[in-house]
Amino acid sequence: MKDKFKSSKWQEVINWAQKKSLFMLHYCTGCGAIELPPTMTSRYDMSRFGIGPAATPRQADIFLITGYLSTKTLRRVVYTYEQMQDPKFVMGFGSCTINGGMYWDSYNTIKQLDKYIPVDLYIAGCMPRPEAILEGFMKLKNKIETGNADGYLRYKEDYDFYKENQEKVLGEVKRRQ
Amino acid sequence: MRNESEVIELLENKLNPLSIEKLRDQNITVTLNNDQLVSGLNYLKSHSYSHLATISCVDWIDDNEFELVYHLFSYQDKINISVKTRIDREESKFVTIKHIWAVAQYYERDIHDFYGIEFEGNDDMDELILENWDEIPPMRKDFKTREYVDQKFEWREYHGSE
Repeated sequence: MKDKFKSSKWQEVINWAQKKSLFMLHYCTGCGAIELPPTMTSRYDMSRFGIGPAATPRQADIFLITGYLSTKTLRRVVYTYEQMQDPKFVMGFGSCTINGGMYWDSYNTIKQLDKYIPVDLYIAGCMPRPEAILEGFMKLKNKIETGNADGYLRYKEDYDFYKENQEKVLGEVKRRQ
Repeated sequence: MRNESEVIELLENKLNPLSIEKLRDQNITVTLNNDQLVSGLNYLKSHSYSHLATISCVDWIDDNEFELVYHLFSYQDKINISVKTRIDREESKFVTIKHIWAVAQYYERDIHDFYGIEFEGNDDMDELILENWDEIPPMRKDFKTREYVDQKFEWREYHGSE
């Protein structure tokens, strides 16, 4: 079904429209949050690329995780991610989401975000500057247009994999429909 | 307003401390016996040291003791006093001071999270910071952080050149 959608002309139109209007939920767990105000406001002004901040998970398209996640915040991230509506795209921001960053040997922070929720794009750096964030957004828009930003489909397909990893570090994860 | 040496003299007479010294300006450290601690804190509170900034804990694993440090501040004297006491590490039990400062119950919960110390009289000892913790308390010196991380999390594999 995924391939059929990818190849259909109608899906291409949807993808094209989708990349023009993206709303971002920024989950500011770590120090990366400080790079977002200049990205959003007049200095770098991400709204000229059709991206704006969203207030709640249910209205958001992009889920931006800005930094380290302790296991306690990971639980909230999983809840938030599952509340978001399809299509949804996750961006991991900063080296903490990639390999733990400076918290690489902490007993309480996860080391690889993509074990727990599917990540469409990583922005490397500690911290990435606003230019890097905008570059990441442009890459994500390209991925959306070509139909490669399929994290939310992977989450459904490999749900057992993600669930197993989540429960390994979190214990029980309550899920509400 | 008293200066440091006046406060030290006062406390030496009243509290009978194990040791007392001025660390630097506006900073005094007092070591008390276990059973003197609550009365000592009461005394300090009634003598303008009314602000309990926090309670901290040190794991002296070689001495087999925990050291609890109560950080007090006086808005009149403008002096910080660290009141220290040592408790047995195996037993790791002490009395609560939440009847003196209500906020202490959260500091005690925090210490219970990270050091596993029980405070008698403080019954609400649910996890405050940690969640579903399954090992010995993480700030104890005998907690092996790297071993725990190795078995709980996976390292990212890199396939580039060394």
